[in-house]
Amino acid sequence: MHFEPSRRGFLKAAGSAAGTAWLAGWWPAALAAAKQAGAARAAAAPLEALSPEEGADFAAIAAQIIPSDELPGANEAGVVYFIDAAVRGFMAGAAADLRKGLADLNRKAGTRFAGLTAQAQLDLLKKEESSPFFGTMQFLTVAGMFSMPVYGGNKDYAGWKMLGFEHRHFWVPPFGHYDAPMAKAGAKK
Amino acid sequence: MSAPAAMPLFPTRKAVDFVVIGSGAAGGVIARELSTAGFDVVLLEQGPHRTAADFVHDELAVQFNNELMGGAGNVQTYRRTAAETAKTQSVPPALYAQTVGGSSVHFSANFWRLRPIDFKERSALGPIAGTGFADWPISYEELEPYYTRVDWEIGVSGEPGPFDPPRSKPYPLPPMPLKSSGALLEAGAKKLGLHPQVAPVAVLSQPYNGRGACIHCGFCMGFGCEAGAKSSTLFTMIPQALATGRCELRARCAVYRIETGKDGRVSEVQYWDEKGRQQAQRARAVVLCANGAETPRLLLMSTSAQFPQGLANGSGRVGHYLMGNSHSITHAVFDEPLHDYKSVQCSRVVHDFYESDAKRGFYGGGAIDGRPFLAATPMLFALTSVPPDVPRWGAEYKKYLAHAFTRHMVAASAGTSLARETNTITLDPTHKDPLGRPALRMTYEDHPDDLKLVTFLQDRSVEILEAAGARKVWREPVEASSVQAHLLGTCRMGDDPKTSVVDRYHRSHDVKNLFICDGSSFVTSGRGQPTMTIQALAFRAAEHIAKFARQGDL
Repeated sequence: MHFEPSRRGFLKAAGSAAGTAWLAGWWPAALAAAKQAGAARAAAAPLEALSPEEGADFAAIAAQIIPSDELPGANEAGVVYFIDAAVRGFMAGAAADLRKGLADLNRKAGTRFAGLTAQAQLDLLKKEESSPFFGTMQFLTVAGMFSMPVYGGNKDYAGWKMLGFEHRHFWVPPFGHYDAPMAKAGAKK
Repeated sequence: MSAPAAMPLFPTRKAVDFVVIGSGAAGGVIARELSTAGFDVVLLEQGPHRTAADFVHDELAVQFNNELMGGAGNVQTYRRTAAETAKTQSVPPALYAQTVGGSSVHFSANFWRLRPIDFKERSALGPIAGTGFADWPISYEELEPYYTRVDWEIGVSGEPGPFDPPRSKPYPLPPMPLKSSGALLEAGAKKLGLHPQVAPVAVLSQPYNGRGACIHCGFCMGFGCEAGAKSSTLFTMIPQALATGRCELRARCAVYRIETGKDGRVSEVQYWDEKGRQQAQRARAVVLCANGAETPRLLLMSTSAQFPQGLANGSGRVGHYLMGNSHSITHAVFDEPLHDYKSVQCSRVVHDFYESDAKRGFYGGGAIDGRPFLAATPMLFALTSVPPDVPRWGAEYKKYLAHAFTRHMVAASAGTSLARETNTITLDPTHKDPLGRPALRMTYEDHPDDLKLVTFLQDRSVEILEAAGARKVWREPVEASSVQAHLLGTCRMGDDPKTSVVDRYHRSHDVKNLFICDGSSFVTSGRGQPTMTIQALAFRAAEHIAKFARQGDL
């Protein structure tokens, strides 16, 4: 059983087949370079590729996609630093399209996106949720939240903590609630 | 283990006994068997020679940048029917790893045997209109000793189930530990009167043959094993081949042509080496093990005066009858944590629906297993394992992710795929890969029965998950396949040179010193998980090839 059809399913489900198609086109550029460029940075560290205004807008969009509550969201995970690393590294070729997408959004906002109230941000994104730009932002937010911190996001494993994903190199049974009785019985043998 | 022998460096202009093309599930076995038998072997692999230390828990690199699959260099196109123009797509249609060990490095290691019925189902059921449904020229009984060799040579963990075919020896290793997805599949299936069983895997549950046991890290499907516990040829056959001192492994060597001499025999294998230089290795015989997509592609690239429609393609069947395995996915969320991201994918499987049953109204059979599927890693979980009534972003989305990551599982079905002559691997007329080779073009349209089968299995999956007490169950829509990970049938085995490409010993009907052994040899698809059978075929083929060589019959 393989693992791709559902990934494609997502690409479609995200309502942005066009957006993800061009995204996929850029993706295979060397990620190794991105690692060097992206290694986790302190909160409020300056952005390198994005202007402060662009950074604030992208961060605000990401924070609407995975908001903060009692658990960390895109802000705490530093998703904007992942995006910053991406546009100057492995997605450099897509930077112009991303900026154009942001400019279009800001035009529709009538101001910089980050300057809108939270409710106005939400209302605007709801109207844009099937656009290629938004599909790409969904992907970048998930990637910045859950990829290895070496790429610039998932700061202090905030994304993994939110999920309850513990990153270890080995585990022993029981793994979960439902296999525990069997693991216990096996241990008694 | 003794220190490895120095790797020989064979001159390219002097014929070695064998060139083996492809170091995966089949090629690794054949290189090991032939070198152990005393023959000189050059083993060519287009991917690099990664080792356990190179395999990291980097989901972005492995699952999204496709690093083990050749990344952007692996150019392929897809079309549904021959009437369409094939296009590249975000995921290559033929999924396979380009690395020493091939796809046995990144597979999930589910390891099933075929059963007696799989080899003679055409005789049992009769013809199916519009398909190339046929019997194999060999039987389960003929292959059984080689299945057992695979079990014991590479290390397989399992326990016999109620529907298993006869086996001449027990599993060498006890089953892997039960996972929560397995416990729930088992509980639900038993409530319905079904017979769930241990899922056998080519992963070590205990130390074996100098290798350590699985550490349950969870980065298994799609990833290389950092512990060397997944029984890929990278960790089993290939080190043993190299230890003979008679096998030279040449990694990052991409073959573009098998040359035919005036005598109609293959004479040398032409490739680009790791530095991009053109090379040609002469050989007494060639064994092609490049997988069910790359094998026909290379034969079609190797046209000559004697073989204008492709090497070994007198039958016109090279590249035809491409089969995958049909599949469907059903998700569930339970109340308590499963933590199914740990350990291997599968620990239990239901085989009650293996046999085709005319009462269902369509051909086919398959299995249902419990596993995390894509939810074993965080990004893919967040992108693919969200129910349709949960938004894809915002507060509700986040609440779902935080609650469900540890509580989610999948019941995955895998089943038959009917051989259709129109499902093919051919050469793309316009797209090329970075080496200038014509891109691999897949033309594939599911047989309607394949889709009916996996819909039926999805209905059963829903029942099982509900019986297990799932809080929520939803279906991944069953759709036409444009991606295949199991690449089967494209150089099918048969007794008749008019309708098949290789004979029962994997010798090509047209070229005496060319053998072909990998997923392309399959006549029917089985019910899923073909790697065990690919390796049993490889052990059997190697035994015959060595015999022919000793008899001077090459």
